[in-house]
Amino acid sequence: MIEARGLSKRYGDLLAVDDVSFVVQEGEVVGFLGPNGAGKTTTMRMLTGYLPPSDGTAVIGDADIFEQPIAARRAVGYLPETPPLYPEMDVQGFLRFVARLHDVPRREIRDAVDRALERCGLADVRRRVIGALSKGYRQRVGVAQAIVHAPPVLVLDEPTVGLDPIQIREIRGLIAELAAPRDGEPAHTVVLSTHILPEVEAICQRVILINRGRKVVDRPLAELTADGARLEDVFARATARDADAEEAEA
Amino acid sequence: MRHAGTIAGRELRSLFVSPVAYAVLTLWALLGAFFFLSTLVQFQEILLRMQQFQMFDQLRQMNLNDALIEPFFQTMWVFFLIGVPAVTMHLFTADKANRTEELLLTSPATIWDIVVGKYLAAAGFMVLMVALLGFFPGLLFAFGDPEVGKTWAGLLGMVLVALAYAAIGLFASSVTSNQIIAFFLALMLIVLFLLLSLIGDLGAASGFFGMGESVAGVMRWLATAEHFSRLTQGLVETRDLVYFAFIIGVFLLLTKASVESVRWR
Repeated sequence: MIEARGLSKRYGDLLAVDDVSFVVQEGEVVGFLGPNGAGKTTTMRMLTGYLPPSDGTAVIGDADIFEQPIAARRAVGYLPETPPLYPEMDVQGFLRFVARLHDVPRREIRDAVDRALERCGLADVRRRVIGALSKGYRQRVGVAQAIVHAPPVLVLDEPTVGLDPIQIREIRGLIAELAAPRDGEPAHTVVLSTHILPEVEAICQRVILINRGRKVVDRPLAELTADGARLEDVFARATARDADAEEAEA
Repeated sequence: MRHAGTIAGRELRSLFVSPVAYAVLTLWALLGAFFFLSTLVQFQEILLRMQQFQMFDQLRQMNLNDALIEPFFQTMWVFFLIGVPAVTMHLFTADKANRTEELLLTSPATIWDIVVGKYLAAAGFMVLMVALLGFFPGLLFAFGDPEVGKTWAGLLGMVLVALAYAAIGLFASSVTSNQIIAFFLALMLIVLFLLLSLIGDLGAASGFFGMGESVAGVMRWLATAEHFSRLTQGLVETRDLVYFAFIIGVFLLLTKASVESVRWR
């Protein structure tokens, strides 16, 4: 469903993402791990069409992000690190706007918005102004705007950052639910970035770990933790190995 | 281009939940009323003087269009200098503050859709402002007989100049993430376009900057005032319409390039 082929992003001299390739199958939930500044957000921005890669490309569904950018963008629901919200709009009006922007046919918009409101537990606040909502609710509106056009692919950049433990559990529950197909509703393929490891253990089937712009681990979660190893150790080893190598170089 | 409509609708709705729209419209209406009355009083005084001094030839040439409506439009035009940037300053800066820029740029809408959508919203507001102003000369039709065509030409001039300034303001809001900077940048660019003819005259007369007559000519052509004045005088000429279309087009293209540059930074 998602195929990244040698994605690279250069900012001047800095190579933020270096030749990252991976494949995500339909219905899979992949945890995108890495320390802060590893290149997670940049990679996601390339997948969603916000930033063009300096090198390499990606295919979303059947659409190449360079050759059919509109089709590729249509297939993705994206929750950036800071949810993109218009504080002066009400929840319902905002979702209606996002649905229209994402080419939901006019007469399906009402249903699409209702479904997103219901799935994200926003039905009670649908007429509230977004700016007046709590942080947890705003995060949910962020998720709702990503799923309102029922995209096959969801890209979520640190969806639980800054939330309290109960809100975190709710958002995780919501993501797990989105990945599981329900009657009549499509299963989403999810790429989720985080640096909270229990989050990955709770909802992801596979882990892609990047460090300093490079992919260092890409394995199913079950395999990684098969011999009783803790994800924390895997993470520490993978990121330390790189630091050691660098020290050796120097 | 369907997305442009969606974006324009959202912008307009947001504009009308913010106090800026109401503040600008209220102030605009009050200023309009004040200057309309003061121009009217002046007009009457001139008439009175002319009668006193028995200047019947001049008196015969006095008419509502040249002596009242045109000066009124010329005065109100000055307030576009701050009114238009006040309306356009948030257009792109708000999206940067809300991070909704990311939402727009990762949606199936193209950059043209976004730029044109936001411009249409601003343009709609400008038309509303000028329509509001049209009320005052409209009053004259109830009590006098101004020329219909000339009045429309003046209103057209007001709309076109506001649309041109809106394109400049849109561009200014796309190059910065700060509303205040966007406001002053728009103001500066608008003033620059006002002063261009003076700069051209000065350059040609003094030979500064090695400026020849041809460069000065281009600068004079680029200046807004002359094109606008001809319209308020009731002269609708193609060259002036081309001028406004040119300014709007250039600034929309610049805005597109500026928004696009986010991707290539």
